[in-house]
Amino acid sequence: MALLPPEFIRILISSVLIVSFVFLNAMILVYIERKVAGHIQRRPGPMEVGPHGILQTLIDGLKLMGKQIIFPDNIDKPLFCIAPLLAFVPAVVAFVVIPFSPKLQAVDLDMGIIFILALASLNVLAILLAGWSSNNKYSLIGAMRSVAQNIAYEIPMLLSLLAVLFMTNSLSMKSIVEAQKPLWFIVVQPVAFLIYFIASLAETNRAPFDLPEAESELTAGFHTEYGGMAYGLFYLGEYANMVMVGAITTTFFLGGWSGPPLPYMEYSGAFWFLAKVYFIVFSMIWFRWTFPRVRFDQLMNFCWKIMVPFGLVNLMITALVLKI
Amino acid sequence: MADPVLPYQFVSEIFFCGFVVLALSGGIIAVSARYLLHALLGLVVTLFGVAGLYLYLGSFFISLMQVLIYVGAICVTIVFAIMLTETPDQVKENHKSGLRSFLAAGAGLAALSCAFQFIYLTEWQPALSRTDDFSIIAVGKRLLTEYCLVFEMISLVLLFAIIGSIILARGGRGN
Amino acid sequence: MIKYFKDIFLGAQSLLVGLWVTIGYMFKPIVTVQYPREKNKIPPAYRGHLEFTRDPETGGSRCVVCLRCVQSCPSKCISIDWEIKGEKRKRILKSYVQDFTRCSQCGLCVEACELGAIRFSNEYELVGFAKEDFYFNLVKMLEKR
Repeated sequence: MALLPPEFIRILISSVLIVSFVFLNAMILVYIERKVAGHIQRRPGPMEVGPHGILQTLIDGLKLMGKQIIFPDNIDKPLFCIAPLLAFVPAVVAFVVIPFSPKLQAVDLDMGIIFILALASLNVLAILLAGWSSNNKYSLIGAMRSVAQNIAYEIPMLLSLLAVLFMTNSLSMKSIVEAQKPLWFIVVQPVAFLIYFIASLAETNRAPFDLPEAESELTAGFHTEYGGMAYGLFYLGEYANMVMVGAITTTFFLGGWSGPPLPYMEYSGAFWFLAKVYFIVFSMIWFRWTFPRVRFDQLMNFCWKIMVPFGLVNLMITALVLKI
Repeated sequence: MADPVLPYQFVSEIFFCGFVVLALSGGIIAVSARYLLHALLGLVVTLFGVAGLYLYLGSFFISLMQVLIYVGAICVTIVFAIMLTETPDQVKENHKSGLRSFLAAGAGLAALSCAFQFIYLTEWQPALSRTDDFSIIAVGKRLLTEYCLVFEMISLVLLFAIIGSIILARGGRGN
Repeated sequence: MIKYFKDIFLGAQSLLVGLWVTIGYMFKPIVTVQYPREKNKIPPAYRGHLEFTRDPETGGSRCVVCLRCVQSCPSKCISIDWEIKGEKRKRILKSYVQDFTRCSQCGLCVEACELGAIRFSNEYELVGFAKEDFYFNLVKMLEKR
């Protein structure tokens, strides 16, 4: 045991917990998404497997695992295999720095948010590889749309996060939460919050910005050719990203784990954290089932003509106020 | 286990070798690939190797920035440019002529010998003996004071990349 | 410049209205029918395949084999088989088969039947693997009912 320091064991345990959290969370989110979609359209959603269909996603997951992964002709096989892994692994690893509560955080990196952003930027590459290697026009168009969209929306997203980072003077997720002890940043930086939220919808390819996988035009976009667990990994990655967006929004704007005191606040702060995260995720689902998909030119106009100028002005005002 | 530090040093050296192999193999992929996109993915692998080397040197920030900017932004932009210009069907057309590959090899060797000259002339110090402050503040201050010229040179390289991609895109459309 | 801000404001406003509508719908009761569990009530005028009405005295069908339904059917999809029995040489119904694959539910047979022996059923859950599954023998169906 001399080779295994306690720190190593701690990281091992926390990564197992994180992976299980991601899987469990994807299951819950798929269920929530289908239920919310159903009720918004005044139908009950899944009802058959288990009481009120709560076991539906479990069964779906088992089905996906049991399915064969089909490799179409003339694909670029190595890239075709790497792409789902590249979509899934970074999305999970990024959870390492999320502060669920004061003591529930795998690692508190000095530059937690940059760590998350660096890993999130790999998502685009995964989508691109998936689209290109599938040798399918729908996949390729989906991938190209995704790249254009992600590059464009990364700018307002970073601008809005930067405005908050100016105020905290730290890139560590934990200290960002602690800086919000007196006042949540959503009150101080409402514009940044809105910009971040909208940009993150585009970054995660969620409606109304779901052009990369627009099912009515591109069948399924970049993951058209994927089946079985390869498709499942894309799906897991997408839901992991949704929670990641919720977690970043909570950490940056909604005060992280802070909330009415509970017993053992050091750990039970995770309850408030998750409540806020799931509220954000719920609103993402709510958005999806409310708004129609934007057109591509609208998407780009919205980013470059509204989000970027507002982000820049917001950043400048923040800097001015902080310096004066 | 007499010396508790020794095994860790061994592990870290394995990591160092792994990153070097990653960087070099990425370079080989980039040079020998048939598709332009495979070449680019070789570049991505190389950049990951370099990011790993920064990590080995203890500068977590730079290594993350390497991934965020080079892999996440620049490579993706290059891929975008490639997708605008080339489809897999067109690959058969750009066969390599003898003269062109000879010139390319010559240019590469010249650049390499230049680089080796510089490497040879420079007096190398271990990173830790120059500074042990790898914080973001220190990096920022140095970038905007001591290494300002280098910083600007990098942006010049990016400008070349943009111009090159525009030329490729326009040529590809037959204009 | 004023238009720019006005557009943003109006856009945001319309988005909020949309969100308000959907969240309202989310808490309204469900309007869909959970088909295999719940079924809609079939309106009385629904035209399914033919069935016999039951004669309360005999418990059998009212059909006297007058063959008016067969004659009235434009698609010739009704075929009746009978035997002659007894002193009065009465026709006794043996089988009454409706070929539902050809029937267009025009209802002429039901109108033609003066005794009201046949009517449209409310059966709409029909499924079969062969054409023959839709040759309905009304006599047997009445016995089963």
